[in-house]
Amino acid sequence: MADPLLEVDDLVVEYATDAGEVRAVNGVNFTLGAGEFLGIVGESGCGKTTLLFAVAQLLSPPGEVVGGKVVFRGQDMVRLDSGELQSMRWRDYSLVMQSAMNALNPMKSIGAQFTDTLQAHEKVSKDDIRKRSIEVMELVGIDPAHLQSYPHQLSGGMRQRAMIAMALLFTPQLVIMDEPTSALDVVAQQSLMTKIKDLQRSLGFAVIFVTHDMSVVSRYSDRVLVMYAGQVAEAARTDAVFERPLHPYTRGLMNAFPSVRGPRRELAGIPGSPPDLARPPSGCRFHPRCPAVMPVCLEREPELYPVDGGEVRCLLYTEHAEGAV
Amino acid sequence: MAEPLLRAVDLTRHFRLGGLLSKHTLHAVDDLDLTINEREIVALVGESGSGKSTVARLLARIYNPTSGEIYYRGRPLHSLRSRKDQLWYRGEVAIVLQDPFSAFHPVFRIAHGVMRNLALHRPDLSPAERRREAERVCEAVGLTPRMLDRYPYEMSGGERQRIGFAQALAVQPKLILADEPVSMLDVSIRVGVLNMMAGLRDREGVSLLYITHDLASARYVADRIVVMYAGQLVEEGPTETVLANPKHPYTQLLLSAAADPSEKDAEIAADSGEPPKVIDPSEGCRFRWRCPYAIEKCELLTPRPTPIGPTQVACHVAVAAAERAANPDADPAANPASNPASNPASISK
Repeated sequence: MADPLLEVDDLVVEYATDAGEVRAVNGVNFTLGAGEFLGIVGESGCGKTTLLFAVAQLLSPPGEVVGGKVVFRGQDMVRLDSGELQSMRWRDYSLVMQSAMNALNPMKSIGAQFTDTLQAHEKVSKDDIRKRSIEVMELVGIDPAHLQSYPHQLSGGMRQRAMIAMALLFTPQLVIMDEPTSALDVVAQQSLMTKIKDLQRSLGFAVIFVTHDMSVVSRYSDRVLVMYAGQVAEAARTDAVFERPLHPYTRGLMNAFPSVRGPRRELAGIPGSPPDLARPPSGCRFHPRCPAVMPVCLEREPELYPVDGGEVRCLLYTEHAEGAV
Repeated sequence: MAEPLLRAVDLTRHFRLGGLLSKHTLHAVDDLDLTINEREIVALVGESGSGKSTVARLLARIYNPTSGEIYYRGRPLHSLRSRKDQLWYRGEVAIVLQDPFSAFHPVFRIAHGVMRNLALHRPDLSPAERRREAERVCEAVGLTPRMLDRYPYEMSGGERQRIGFAQALAVQPKLILADEPVSMLDVSIRVGVLNMMAGLRDREGVSLLYITHDLASARYVADRIVVMYAGQLVEEGPTETVLANPKHPYTQLLLSAAADPSEKDAEIAADSGEPPKVIDPSEGCRFRWRCPYAIEKCELLTPRPTPIGPTQVACHVAVAAAERAANPDADPAANPASNPASNPASISK
């Protein structure tokens, strides 16, 4: 296989708080090939947004990368200085934030914000800016007339599309998306996801897509990374995860949303709430909420074990499981 | 038929836009008929901007209707004028708000809101009884009584949303209006809140109006579904009937948009439209711009909810198809074959 586009190696991010160091991301590893669609799933507070910010090098104090590497196209982003990062942002990779209303500048029209982005990287003529802006607006399916509009004049779905248009101004190789659809209605969500997938197929960029909703990733991603309490709980191909989820947490997530079709059955969800990362539980971090907990889980911290082509952080898939069930 | 718990007739709410001299009005809710029976969960489904939150606020008397009337146990709401009557109604009908992060006063402990509701609505309780009652409602929503002594910032979103329900329950309501109670919550916590809602109906005999844009969760808890579009009712009926065979094209669209992990290659509607802002509307179906089946009649005449079996549907095409299906012989060549939209098969698909 060729060198991956992005390689995250044993990444550790800590926040300095009054209560001590909080490890929001704890030893995360993953690779992303060119043109691949990776879904990262987890509850709020599991560290998924922190992970994205670390990858994009947007962390601000008190958050800090204290260990590991983020290798993007052969360069370790953690070591780059802000000037080098600035020249890469938007051009080589871009970020679509959760809430476009807060991410777009309310005082500037969409077109003016596109112009800023383009001019930050290269000397471009007004004509080229216009042409490119119209192109990307058409790509995401908004009438280019809205280049003159201000963010408040657009609906939620259109704002998210405008954000995506902005992310595509330079045709980057990597687009990072932080819950771009979670503020939207079902119909708008559906059409936006279809659009993202179409664009990804035709333009060939790689996507890291963060969400808490398993149903969103199920249709669109190639691989899924399930995060729990700052760690990867399970990583595998999407179809494998949906056919046979290994980690009890993944099973819980899958069992947490009702279906519009098929038999109506009672769902259990996942009892309890994610742990306080300042004081993570002993042993397996999921054990207080786990339906399949074994005595050994309280003491022994599981590693990522390879199972069926994927990886899972659960002692059920080790020799400890025998006799304990 | 016995009088339902709550009945809204021709409920209408308009908002004037712009300044004093502006003649434009936004039609948030138009001619909505809604009934909620005892021990029933009714889901009010629609996209944002469809008027569903306005309905909740009308029913909670946060807004007054522009026209139309709401009857609670047969009593018209506009007749409830005295403080005593208003307090009575607020004790019978409680509202739970969408955003659990902004619904609580940050400087008071959680107990404050619950206890204040008890003091207002159940003055006969002594302070000790009040505390016991607060603990009871806390347990009813699946929280430990210790939570009462916490501050809002110490609680997670799911816990706060449950406290919202506990506050509502403290007044022993017969009806809870829940405005998107789970949309701000993580998927893993949603099911807990939904199960709690079903539990309230089964154990405490409470009715709920569950407002959501998520058909899947509506199906999970609701007995009946009301679908709204642009301020109007488009389809209403028993949950399973509506979802198994949606008759209105908008319900079909919503259903196809509800992503389902178990069906990887389910057909996806290519629709990217959004509900229109209904400003000074003229006659005609408000869904016609997005509707794949729209016919000429849809532009001329606003469809009214018409019964088809156990459901009510406000769609000319679906109603015509149902009528033809009911008596195929009586069908004159009124609908030429050139109009594929009137083919019943294409509607029920």
